[in-house]
Amino acid sequence: MIEFKGLTKRYGEHRAVDGLSFSAPAGQVTGFVGPNGAGKTTAFRCLLGLAQPTAGAALIDGHRYRDLPRPRRQVGVMLESTGFHPARTGRNHLRVLAWAAGIDSAQIDDLLELVGLRGAADRRVGGYSLGMRQRLGLAGALLGDPPTIVLDEPVNGLDPAGVSWVRRLLRAWASEGRTVVVSSHLLTELAQVADRVVVIRAGRLVAEAEVGSLADSVTVRVDRPDAMAAALQAAGMTYELRADGAIWVPGRDPAEIGHIAAGASVAVTELARSTAGDSLEALFFTATGGADHA
Amino acid sequence: MRELVAAEWLKLRTTRLPYGMVGAAIGLAVAAVAGGVLATARSDTALTSTRGLDQVLSLAGTGALVTLLTGILVAAGEYRHGTATDTFLTAPRRHRVVIAKLAVGAALGLATGLMTATTGLGTAAALFQMEGDTLPLGDGEVWLILAGTLGYATLFAVLGVALGTLIRNQVLAVAVALAWIGIVEHILISLAPAVGRWLPAMAGQAVVRAPIEEMLPPLGGLAVLTTYAVVVGAFGLRAAVSRDV
Repeated sequence: MIEFKGLTKRYGEHRAVDGLSFSAPAGQVTGFVGPNGAGKTTAFRCLLGLAQPTAGAALIDGHRYRDLPRPRRQVGVMLESTGFHPARTGRNHLRVLAWAAGIDSAQIDDLLELVGLRGAADRRVGGYSLGMRQRLGLAGALLGDPPTIVLDEPVNGLDPAGVSWVRRLLRAWASEGRTVVVSSHLLTELAQVADRVVVIRAGRLVAEAEVGSLADSVTVRVDRPDAMAAALQAAGMTYELRADGAIWVPGRDPAEIGHIAAGASVAVTELARSTAGDSLEALFFTATGGADHA
Repeated sequence: MRELVAAEWLKLRTTRLPYGMVGAAIGLAVAAVAGGVLATARSDTALTSTRGLDQVLSLAGTGALVTLLTGILVAAGEYRHGTATDTFLTAPRRHRVVIAKLAVGAALGLATGLMTATTGLGTAAALFQMEGDTLPLGDGEVWLILAGTLGYATLFAVLGVALGTLIRNQVLAVAVALAWIGIVEHILISLAPAVGRWLPAMAGQAVVRAPIEEMLPPLGGLAVLTTYAVVVGAFGLRAAVSRDV
């Protein structure tokens, strides 16, 4: 489990992360979303002992990263800022990590196979594409077979096949009981893979939601919203009456809502279904104000 | 700790840096010694005199300039290429990384020193022959100079790692080192030799017994150079531990 407890990181007057608290439980994929500059990477850097928090703490299974006896075996990390020496081969990059962490380098071949770099293993990283670097970064994160995995924008630069491959990996890890935290600005991607999403903006937590609860919602407009609301209530449905008169009903499909509207004798003027991705996007834009990400 | 040292060594030999740098150090030492023999042979100083030997063989110590730069690149290069993140994720108690790098830098410096000393010696022997002299291998001065070459190259490599740890911007660190040795020390040694002789490159010159006026004694130079390496290393260590990566 990963816990952020009132984490604050200030650079001069600027609060890059401002009292951030949330936790990412084991056995789930937690998506960490926010517009560029929201503080995602800074939060990760504080979590991983690369930056010193101004206040608060970020803990991995109750410990600071710095206090972990075998960090590479406990936490697998891929950050955007992770670089590679251009003259070193992919295989040697992994050997360096393995040697430093005291991990048997015999598994490197299997790992290269897993991330699809077997053929490029002995080429210099300087000649790798962005996608190949991402794959090498993932291999580095997996080296110690860690129970906790933290990935910063892991699908950047990957082709569609790569993206779906990463999605399957993330799901597999979570089902094995690992703690998986993944940041992304690709909301629809997160909706397909995350169990929970945490949205931050300007360093603060602005929304937190189970992706399951976001699935398949319906937005309906009717001539008499109050009557519709009463009918939904009578049918035992959760709903939200919005300021513009639209009614949002999570976890239902349009047919059900249409029947209820007919039963209540209200005229439907608009009926729209939203997928989890749409809902997540709506949540994201509502929470972040949208404008600076559009 | 042993794992980190092994990893640093692997890091070093899986890039082209050490090979190029060792080659450059040898080339520099050979050229400097050759130039020294030819110049001394055409001066009033006898090649085989103590002063002649000092004048010629101390030039093999120029390889230390290259080990200084290598040390800087070993340390600051991690920030340039962004590998520092992975390095410190593996070893979040960062002082251990710095110590491993200092150790590997020292080993590389020593190896480079050994190679510049032997190739410098070979060059001198060949050119002495050409000038109709024989390099007096029985003269203790020869071996003291060569031993000094090892110390100079090793300590300068350590100083380079320390400097590259303290100044993470590789270009800036290299510029500072070159400007210091090429300009600042030259000005100080000519304006105020009593001060100038305490500076790192001049202390290094003392270690390899270069015949320059008002130099520190060789062991004094060694002590001064060691002090620089330790002090800059301590500042680098503190910076590496406290700074955000």
